Amino acid sequence: MTTSTLRREQPAFVETFQRLRLGPYLFVLGVAIIDFLVIGPAQFVNGLTIGAIYALVAIGYTMVYGIIELINFAHGDVFMVGAFTSMYVLTNVLGQDGPIKDPPVLAAVLFVDFAITMILLGILGTVIERFAYRPLRHAPRLAPLITAIGVSFILQNTIQILFGPSPVNTPQLISPTARVNVFGLDVGVVNIFTIVVSVSLMIALQLFVSRTRIGRAMRSTAMDREAAQLMGVDINRTIAITFFIGSALAGAAGVVQGLYFGNIQFTLGFQAGLKAFTAAVLGGIGNITGAALGGFIIGFVEVTAGAKGVFVWGQAAVFVVLILTLLFRPAGLLGQQIGERA
Amino acid sequence: MKNAKIGALVAGAVIVLAACSSGGSTAAPTTAASTGTGASAAPAGSTAASKGELKLGVTLPLSGGAAADGQPTLKGAQLAVDQINTAGGIDGYTIKLVPLDHAVNGKYNEQQGAQDMQTFVSDPAVIGVVGPYNSAVAKVQIPISNAAGLLQCSPANTNESLTKPEFGALDYRKTNPTKINYIRVAATDDIQGPAMATYAYNTLGLKNMLVVDDVTTFGKGVADNFQKKFEALGGTVIRVGAGADTTDFNSIITDAKTKNPDGVYYGGVVTSGGGLLLKQLRQQGLTIPFTGPDGIVNGAGDAKGSLIQIAGAQAADNSYGTVAAIGDFPGKADFEKAFADHFASDADFKVAGAYSGPAYACATVILDSLKATLDANPTADQAAIREGVRAYASDPSHTFKTVLGDESFDKNGDTTQPFISFYKVDPTAKGGVGDWVFKEQQNFSANAPAAASPSP
Repeated sequence: MTTSTLRREQPAFVETFQRLRLGPYLFVLGVAIIDFLVIGPAQFVNGLTIGAIYALVAIGYTMVYGIIELINFAHGDVFMVGAFTSMYVLTNVLGQDGPIKDPPVLAAVLFVDFAITMILLGILGTVIERFAYRPLRHAPRLAPLITAIGVSFILQNTIQILFGPSPVNTPQLISPTARVNVFGLDVGVVNIFTIVVSVSLMIALQLFVSRTRIGRAMRSTAMDREAAQLMGVDINRTIAITFFIGSALAGAAGVVQGLYFGNIQFTLGFQAGLKAFTAAVLGGIGNITGAALGGFIIGFVEVTAGAKGVFVWGQAAVFVVLILTLLFRPAGLLGQQIGERA
Repeated sequence: MKNAKIGALVAGAVIVLAACSSGGSTAAPTTAASTGTGASAAPAGSTAASKGELKLGVTLPLSGGAAADGQPTLKGAQLAVDQINTAGGIDGYTIKLVPLDHAVNGKYNEQQGAQDMQTFVSDPAVIGVVGPYNSAVAKVQIPISNAAGLLQCSPANTNESLTKPEFGALDYRKTNPTKINYIRVAATDDIQGPAMATYAYNTLGLKNMLVVDDVTTFGKGVADNFQKKFEALGGTVIRVGAGADTTDFNSIITDAKTKNPDGVYYGGVVTSGGGLLLKQLRQQGLTIPFTGPDGIVNGAGDAKGSLIQIAGAQAADNSYGTVAAIGDFPGKADFEKAFADHFASDADFKVAGAYSGPAYACATVILDSLKATLDANPTADQAAIREGVRAYASDPSHTFKTVLGDESFDKNGDTTQPFISFYKVDPTAKGGVGDWVFKEQQNFSANAPAAASPSP
């Protein structure tokens, strides 16, 4: 008798738990807390910062995969173009070359820089989709994949011709040596800025996808393209918007990269693309929240390796974590949410 | 027409003679070095019916971030060849400089380096090659040039395993282990690393250093040598490896800060991330001395891709670097002036770099060997010339009068005059863009065994 009551109570709890799908989040949170205790708050901030950049890039990967099942290998280079666009806007359009002291001016310049870069990169994303991927939408899968690699080379070479193959310095509008005291911890202002901007953009995106008509169109297209079309969703427009948003976020990541590191190179996209793609797979490709979580996890793994004096193993550790995750959750951390795809 | 040509030849011979006589009597080492063999060339000038063209190869990374390393080095060799040709060539041959660039995406690339060496080897007109710049490239090139018996003279390679059998050099010259075809005028890393360790410990007074290497042949090698010596002197080391494509060093720096280092040594090159490491160190508030090998001494703050340009002149302050070559050679001022005059119209690289002189010296060694070969056997065919140049240059009994001073090579092809020069960044130099300024130099030839082996 007692066993049966126990049985009845337990499923209720587990069911609620599963319905909320909190498992992966709690897992990530737990790992983050353990990591925090292991590496300390200063390193934790480093991990959050670099993870935020990876997360922003990873979201673009995952959105495109979610909607047309294309691994957009050019996405890392879109991010790189974003970094260069921001550098050009800051130096040649806004005439900046270093830190700005006055907060209102700083905010205005940053806003203009983000706005121009994100819009231009969004347009670039839609142009790439229109001319490189849309004509191949019904072709065998390998064709758009190769096209994506081609686009990647075109973007790299264009930037190499325009700005030269050497590393280029970008203006660090927020003084990189400026620090503030947060709960007794000395944190770089630019780190806080990077984290806040990235997380805000991710929340905005989540709200956009879940609360707006266009967001609903995107979700329905991702679920079943033909059915969505039959229901009156303009597929081409929806996919174009997806590319616009994903690329604009990569552009924002590029701006942040320039502000944080102050130095960019045309080869930047390859490394970033690889890590962001890994983040997207880790989080469950197609899932936006998953990609964000994946980005942060990769940031933490890398920083933990650095903090423990085995920096050179950071890359390998990232893939060990990826393999372990896929062993237990083959679809990625949050992958089951689109498991119903045929 | 014929008369005009003969007139030109006579004029050329007169110029050569004049240059030689002035070089012999007064201190004009640059011209003396380039035309050091000219004394006997002048009589040949009268009989110098043109025999055609021989090629001097140059294998360097010449584009992108690596251009700051490669271009000034290339131009050192180019200056030597241009001077020889202006003076009438060598025994009827004109010398053509053939530079091949093995930088891919702005960084040196071993595969491309190997491919370029195949190109040189398969062209019988190539009598010798100046380069490469990076030790990792030398590792793949030496087996190819060794099999073909083609002389290579590197102005800048410093990894000790390339030449010294006790460090595994025989793996690279497998085909002809006894026929030395790779010589270098640069000192080796078993000298360069310990030299900076001694300088850091004694002169800069550093006791606890963060040592970061880029996990490459050169970077890890020189950092290992540095660490051994620094620890032997009584210092402590925090050692980290960070691969050649690292951009984010913040976790390393944050970790090191808890261990209070009083200096940093970067074993690597700027394209591996040296500039970004320095930049991020300063951003995290560490203004401690930043030191490194010749890989970080790559030009002034206005050279694209240089350490000072990436980090910024202010951040680059308090940086020290070694160069595995003589920094203050007797004819330095003359050489730099000749260099600046010759390349005055070049937009980006009109000033001699740290390895311009050594590249000039390498070209001199090869061209002098060519001269000696042709003097001994004027009718030699191309294969005989190539072998003659290799045999003459690698013979330890021969001494060459180069711009760097008297140069000769030991049985492994290493210079017998290993100099290490110390440079420091002056952020106000060159009108505020910052540049490396020469501090001092040490010759490790006398006490080479002591300096060369860090462990007794």
